[in-house]
Amino acid sequence: MFGQGLLKGLQVTWGRMLSKKQTVEYPDEHIEMFPRFHGRFELDVDKCIACGLCANACPNKVIQIEKEKVDKKQYLTRYMMRIEYCLFCGLCVESCNKDALKFSNVIDMNQYRRSWVRLTLVDRPAPEPTETPEEETSAKAAKDEAAAGSTPGKEG
Amino acid sequence: MGENIFVGIATWLRDVMSSAGVPDLWNDTILMLVKLVTVLVFVMLNFMVLNYMERRIAGFIQSRRGPNRVGPHGLLQPLADIGKMLGKELYIPKSVDKIVFLLMPTLIFVPPFLIFAVLPLGKNMAAIDMNIGVFYMFAIASLSTIILWGAGWSSNNKYSLIGSMRAVAQMVSYELPLILSLLGVIMITGTLNMSSIVEAQNNIWFVFTQPIAFLIYFIAGIAETNRTPFCLVEGESEIIAGPYTEYSGMTYAMFPLAEFVSMIIISAMSTIVFLGGWLAPFGWTFIPSWLWFFLKMYVMIFIFMWVRWTYPRIRVDQLMGFNWKVLVPLALANIFITGVGMYVFRAIGWWS
Amino acid sequence: MKTETYTLNLGPQHPSTHGVFRIILELDGETVVKATPVPGYLHRGIEKLAEARTYTQVIPYTDRMDYMAAMLMNWGYVAAVEKLMGIEVPERVEYIRVIVGELSRIASHQIAIGAMGGDIGALTAFTYTFRDREYVIDLLEMVSGSRMTFSYFRIGGVAADLPDEFFPATRKLLNEIPAMCDEYDDLVTGNEIFQARTKQVGIITPEMGINYSLSGPTLRGSGVNYDLRKARPYSIYDRFDFEVPLGTNGDCFDRFRIRIDEIRQSKRIIEQALDQIPEGPIMAKVPKVIKPPAGDAYAEIESSKGVYGAYVVSDGSPKPYRVHFRRPSFINLGYLGELCEGWKLADVIAILASIDIVLGEVDC
Repeated sequence: MFGQGLLKGLQVTWGRMLSKKQTVEYPDEHIEMFPRFHGRFELDVDKCIACGLCANACPNKVIQIEKEKVDKKQYLTRYMMRIEYCLFCGLCVESCNKDALKFSNVIDMNQYRRSWVRLTLVDRPAPEPTETPEEETSAKAAKDEAAAGSTPGKEG
Repeated sequence: MGENIFVGIATWLRDVMSSAGVPDLWNDTILMLVKLVTVLVFVMLNFMVLNYMERRIAGFIQSRRGPNRVGPHGLLQPLADIGKMLGKELYIPKSVDKIVFLLMPTLIFVPPFLIFAVLPLGKNMAAIDMNIGVFYMFAIASLSTIILWGAGWSSNNKYSLIGSMRAVAQMVSYELPLILSLLGVIMITGTLNMSSIVEAQNNIWFVFTQPIAFLIYFIAGIAETNRTPFCLVEGESEIIAGPYTEYSGMTYAMFPLAEFVSMIIISAMSTIVFLGGWLAPFGWTFIPSWLWFFLKMYVMIFIFMWVRWTYPRIRVDQLMGFNWKVLVPLALANIFITGVGMYVFRAIGWWS
Repeated sequence: MKTETYTLNLGPQHPSTHGVFRIILELDGETVVKATPVPGYLHRGIEKLAEARTYTQVIPYTDRMDYMAAMLMNWGYVAAVEKLMGIEVPERVEYIRVIVGELSRIASHQIAIGAMGGDIGALTAFTYTFRDREYVIDLLEMVSGSRMTFSYFRIGGVAADLPDEFFPATRKLLNEIPAMCDEYDDLVTGNEIFQARTKQVGIITPEMGINYSLSGPTLRGSGVNYDLRKARPYSIYDRFDFEVPLGTNGDCFDRFRIRIDEIRQSKRIIEQALDQIPEGPIMAKVPKVIKPPAGDAYAEIESSKGVYGAYVVSDGSPKPYRVHFRRPSFINLGYLGELCEGWKLADVIAILASIDIVLGEVDC
């Protein structure tokens, strides 16, 4: 009969009007994200060995690493992610051998300015070397000695 | 809740003024102005309620919550909307016909207001109890067609032009079944006065004696107010917003406002003509007449909204075909049957 | 009376072109005299970008083609590289791929149904399908961590195993899918207004469909039984029992209807896959640096829009020499101009929606 589908549709919407609402009131209520959710990046600085695998794995060259050599070890001084180019593919997290780089569950990464979006996970100066290399000290001492030796000659 | 609260206020106002020595002519004029301002306030309040109601119902139907941020349960959302609309720039595109472009949003509001003057919103509660009320209403309602057309034409945009051409075709065609469907009722009552039509339904509402006419009226009414399934004038997914495409800010807001107001009018008319107006069913007269009127009107509005958020949009050729091939013949047949019925009943003496 | 036709520029910014797609319409009143589709507004040069990336790094870019069914886009590319390298994919991976691929197909079809409903004017259908799609996407998020661009496939396997909570959650959703489909049927398919709008509109005859190399539901709506999963089973599709829904008239309504039926069939496939899935590794033995031997390979899968193919040419270096994608949306669009002629403006929208294009895929 013509009109049956029309009535059926009204019945569907009537049922939905009275049934439970499926949305949540966002700022008051939060949906918990799944453990694998690709949210804001987190870097465990102590685990990071500044190998640069993540930067290489990235398809978009999002990750910029600056490092210094301290005590024959690479020391991470700056770890910056240009999130505005990030695809959130997770290849960097997957490439990390030390489990240093991870996704967190934080979803609100939005900012008012494009330039604020950049995520600087580490920005610190390199520490002073704990002990200065051997030959450098001896050379310095010799130079000091020479300087000390020359002055009396000048005077004399 | 007094049955005569509004009528009482009017009488009291008249008494106060005549006791203060105001001449009768001035007295009447002031009272008329008060009534019209009341209508204005009434329309604006209803617009806000409808705005909220539409969005909330749309939300509920779509498993959402609808507006719930501004005020308790989002009740202040219409105010926020109006504030936002007022704050927006009135952008006038370069190539529009400026005078017509700006005049049309102003004028679109006039016909609905004029109609409100004659609607009896309760017992003895018409601002003007006109003896040709139904006729007047349709005469005025037709005016909005030309305003929509002017808005679309002056925008100098092809989408607007298509939309306004659709508006003309649709609203002029659907006026016919709308009026024809009411003719049956008018034949039975023999009057064009809305109050008399309501009084004539004391025994039985016309929705039961004229069900086909009510159905035709309902469908044509949706088409007159340009709501889904007949929202071709706006036709969001086809012609962006039809005649309103180029409007912004408050000039744009006037069109939805007028649309809501005409929806109130169509619902109010169906209440008056088919649902017994302010008459209380089952003799429940403890609820005042004007409240009954509003209850019935809002039930109608709810059905309009329910239908809107359920159905898809019809196509333009189907729209016209449906009107001329189905609705108009049906309405004419209804008139014919009503006329024959009247004679038959008169002959056997059931009805005088 | 002398009448003139006029040009209407539908798009690129238009509510129902599903993105930035442009059709230049020559209209006589509301009737289309000539339609010229103009794609290309979302062109990002994914094929060229791929030449500067390693084989693994191309995967996230394939997501960005058909972002409504990103898992399937991953699959086609990964299958091509695996074919090139001769990698035998572990059994469990094949099952995981089928499960997430079919879930992705369900999500994509839900968008197609909802968007078509919305374009016809039933906005509630749009929200209903999106609401239900969220639950499907939840499952994929559980697996891959993303809601839209999953990047879940890897060459020789998948990024991570299915989590334990995935299985009960999927079974629960699958039980709800028939009710979802019935709701769409009640609300949209059975609606007389919708039928009046879509039946006998935009008819693609089987011959024309084949001539224009259409594929997917667009072709099957015309009654041509060509589903790659049946016609030339790839992966492990020969192990599942399912039907290919076919249309009879080739009109917009058939194209719409068989998408709902395909959701039901996808549900059957996933159920069987969940029952049969074996334990095992989730990664084949793949060298750390992927360097396929010089040569080329072409692999096809049945994506939600049609036959999606990836052609990969290797010169022996870690980066592909050339990658080409056969995007079904783009090829299905080839017939649009001719198809629209003679129909009303509103029908153009219905026809476009029934072809179900995703602009990311059209422009690549």
